[in-house]
Amino acid sequence: MVEGTLSYKTTLPAHIRSGDSLARRHWGQLAALAPVFVTTCFTGHAEILRILLICLVSAIAFGFLAAKLFRKKESLWNGETVLAATLFSLLMPSRCPSEVVILGVFMAVFVGRELFGGTGAHLLHPLLLARVFLQLCFPKAMSEPMLLAGEGSVWTLLGVGLGGIIFLKQRQGYWETPALFMAACFICEALFGGREMPFAFFGGVLLTAFFLLADPVALPLTRQGTALFVLGAALLSSRLSPEGFSIRSAGYAILLMNLLTPWLDVWLRPVSYKTKHHLKATYPS
Amino acid sequence: MSNRKAIGVLLERKKDASLLNWNLKRPYPPEKIRIPIPASSEPCVREGETVQIGQKIASPQEAGGVSLHAGMSGKVEKIASFPSAAGGERRMIEIRKHGSPNAYQFPQSGNWGSPDHHKAKENKGRGEPKSLPPAETRKGWAEIPAEELSSVFQHSGLVTTDPSMEPVHAKLERHTGARTIIINGCEPEPYITCEQVLILSHAVEILKGAELLKRALKAEKILFAFEDCNLEMIELIKSKIYFLKWEYAEVRTVPALYPQGSEGALLQAWFPGEEDRAVVFPASTAFAAYEAVALGKPFYERVVTVGGECVVEPRSLWLPLGISFHDAIHACKGVMREPEKILMGGPMAGTAQRTAEVSVMAGTGAILALPKEVAKDGPEEPCLRCNLCVDHCPALLSPVMITLAAERNEFAVAEEWNVADCVECGNCSYVCPSKRPMLKFIRLARDHTKRMAHG
Repeated sequence: MVEGTLSYKTTLPAHIRSGDSLARRHWGQLAALAPVFVTTCFTGHAEILRILLICLVSAIAFGFLAAKLFRKKESLWNGETVLAATLFSLLMPSRCPSEVVILGVFMAVFVGRELFGGTGAHLLHPLLLARVFLQLCFPKAMSEPMLLAGEGSVWTLLGVGLGGIIFLKQRQGYWETPALFMAACFICEALFGGREMPFAFFGGVLLTAFFLLADPVALPLTRQGTALFVLGAALLSSRLSPEGFSIRSAGYAILLMNLLTPWLDVWLRPVSYKTKHHLKATYPS
Repeated sequence: MSNRKAIGVLLERKKDASLLNWNLKRPYPPEKIRIPIPASSEPCVREGETVQIGQKIASPQEAGGVSLHAGMSGKVEKIASFPSAAGGERRMIEIRKHGSPNAYQFPQSGNWGSPDHHKAKENKGRGEPKSLPPAETRKGWAEIPAEELSSVFQHSGLVTTDPSMEPVHAKLERHTGARTIIINGCEPEPYITCEQVLILSHAVEILKGAELLKRALKAEKILFAFEDCNLEMIELIKSKIYFLKWEYAEVRTVPALYPQGSEGALLQAWFPGEEDRAVVFPASTAFAAYEAVALGKPFYERVVTVGGECVVEPRSLWLPLGISFHDAIHACKGVMREPEKILMGGPMAGTAQRTAEVSVMAGTGAILALPKEVAKDGPEEPCLRCNLCVDHCPALLSPVMITLAAERNEFAVAEEWNVADCVECGNCSYVCPSKRPMLKFIRLARDHTKRMAHG
């Protein structure tokens, strides 16, 4: 320690940080997606590998393009682009033409995320925005995702469930977000559905509950708000189409609730301790 | 006690290193000390004058001021502005070691609390005392009337030992009518052990100091606040209270979460909405009150934790007010490696210092030298709206909304979302996965609000 000459770093507190980071969250979600991916491959849809490759290459390319265009730092290593590509490939149906997949990735990464202002700024879930866009443009080609096509099997359920457990263990969000969504979906289906519940239905609900509601950017900013959001999304996704819950209707439901998010933020804003007790605000020196 | 779930973050406490050496020591007097002069006091010594340890060097100019006492014997070198640990520059008295240090003799009798009470007596050629004279309690200290106590506090230079550094007599007067005194033994911040070590070494003195504060305030009840993980302190104080047969004292615990043990959080948890019914003093203030009244010892030194991974021998020790951080760290055998940051206070709410030449103040609980690995600021990334800051805010605010608004210069929005109620605990910065400088934006918004309020 040299007397008087050295100057140390001065920043505002806190001077220590928790181990949480964006990269950790994104790569953690990817790890949770691995069992889902493996299940999809082994239930006879090896085509997903082709779609994943297209998604990865095009998403990284669009990410670089956006970084160049908007003069931002390329954020490949925080895993956001890779996560978006992987999750998007899981949402794609089988026998989907390559150019449709590329268009979808363009909508998700370039329009849905970067044009809205990049990480953390989008109002709508970019992947669901892209999927809904493709549904509207190519209604024939866009059927249910590969994993959930047909009746599904118990393996589908196990794969998604295992991924969900890995995701919950990381404590990235509230535990009640997936729980409420699943409960509300099952109750709605039991009340209004009246049809048989195939494994694909359960798999779809689990996939939505764990992975499509995992992006906190477009969720409300309070715990109560998030719970309301989730209940609304569950109700809408069960009732929007006459066939009941599907990934197709879940996309619309979550996008609609995303539009309500700013309103939920203001309506359910936390009441500060001092306001609640009518205490005078004080400034610490 | 309220049933509301305690809000806070669970931090790694890191207190073991400084608890390894938990016997309190006084280091050798440093070459020089620089003592900040309190706001409403004026120096009563001239440059070049020789002062004794404990001698009064500044006297209060108004009712709310306190006197100031020399932390070591020596010569007044300069009275000028020097960089302060709290930021900016402040007027300080610099005392340099001069000749052989003579001990100040504590007055054993005389007029309690008179302004000239602590004038140094002439040293009559006694040998060369190495340390303070043995403490003798003054006769009849336990019967001093409550009215005189606050005068003793004022002329002993007693201020609270938390960062607010409010004069004790002024704080007591401000809270006249409060029925409860809370003696705070919690240290929610990592590394800091100064209160814990003082309580373990001087439990009875702290109890008696608390009793004095209670008498000065005419309160009815004393609550001792501890974190629920510090079982040895809880047991120690409980057993002392039991044997003293104090019906009016009680030990209560709070969860060991940051910032649950802080003054605001204690009032919020135990007296929600009625904060004027209780007043909180740190345990070290109670100890200083005991010493001021029972020993006649003015407040010129305090227990400070010198810690952090860079310090060779982290420990809590007695330091004279005004000793530089550099000398304090050297009293703990220096640093093993150049620290990235030097902090006054804990890592959650402490102030980072540009240089180690700033001096210890009454509110300095800890001096921390943190290495690069601990005090790293990761690359800042955009807000993910993950809600962690909202869930961990003890003031029940929405830090994400406030900071996003302040970042875009929308200060009206920040004010509407109650930015003024922020207690600056640092929780939101700690939990943020994007490593955003939350406090920077919050300060920006409040500074703007304050400027608007003052026209």
